[in-house]
Amino acid sequence: MKTWSETNMKVQSIIIAGLSLIRLLLSLFALWLTLGWKVRKTRRAFEKQLIRQGMAKKDAKKLSAQYSKMKNEIINSLKGSLVRNI
Amino acid sequence: MSEEKEKRKEKEEKEDVEELREVLGVVSKEVPALIKSIIASVFSEEAGRDMGKAAAAFYKELKDAGMPEETAVKMTENYISVFTSLGDILKGVGKKGKVIISTKEGEEIGKEISEEVSRKIKEKLAEKRREEEEEDEE
Repeated sequence: MKTWSETNMKVQSIIIAGLSLIRLLLSLFALWLTLGWKVRKTRRAFEKQLIRQGMAKKDAKKLSAQYSKMKNEIINSLKGSLVRNI
Repeated sequence: MSEEKEKRKEKEEKEDVEELREVLGVVSKEVPALIKSIIASVFSEEAGRDMGKAAAAFYKELKDAGMPEETAVKMTENYISVFTSLGDILKGVGKKGKVIISTKEGEEIGKEISEEVSRKIKEKLAEKRREEEEEDEE
């Protein structure tokens, strides 16, 4: 028969693990939310440099689309590893 | 005696819980910070500007050398894609040492290769036939 202390410890451990997981997921969610904004800023700075050297705006936008592609790849790989590990 | 044992056990369990609390606290703090710093090194205004400068210099050199606009843009795109293949590297890391090319991608590449090979063979055969016909006519 398990003692009250043993049960208490287990409950405490589960609560700690749950809280840490929630904290981790919230931080990742905040990261995901700010990522889109960061990508937009990066793309704009990148395009500006290309346009300054005489590249057409359309071509500069096409080249900077690589950043969005990379963002999607990173998010997908993070999602994949999270799903695999949880 | 048994009371003492129980107390020791309880103390050990308390220490375990404390340790778990510390470990999970560090993990939940450090993992997002690590990901954040990796992302910031690629997706930031400064990183975009630096990469843009490098790509623009590359493009300008090509243009100055007399390269047509379309080719220069295409080559600059290839130049950037080397840098942006970071996503592929991350994918590979996530797969724990497995082959980076996925089965679907592998199949697509294989299909492309076989199509290209059969096209080349057909071209060569047609060329050979033409040569033989020309020889016969002579």
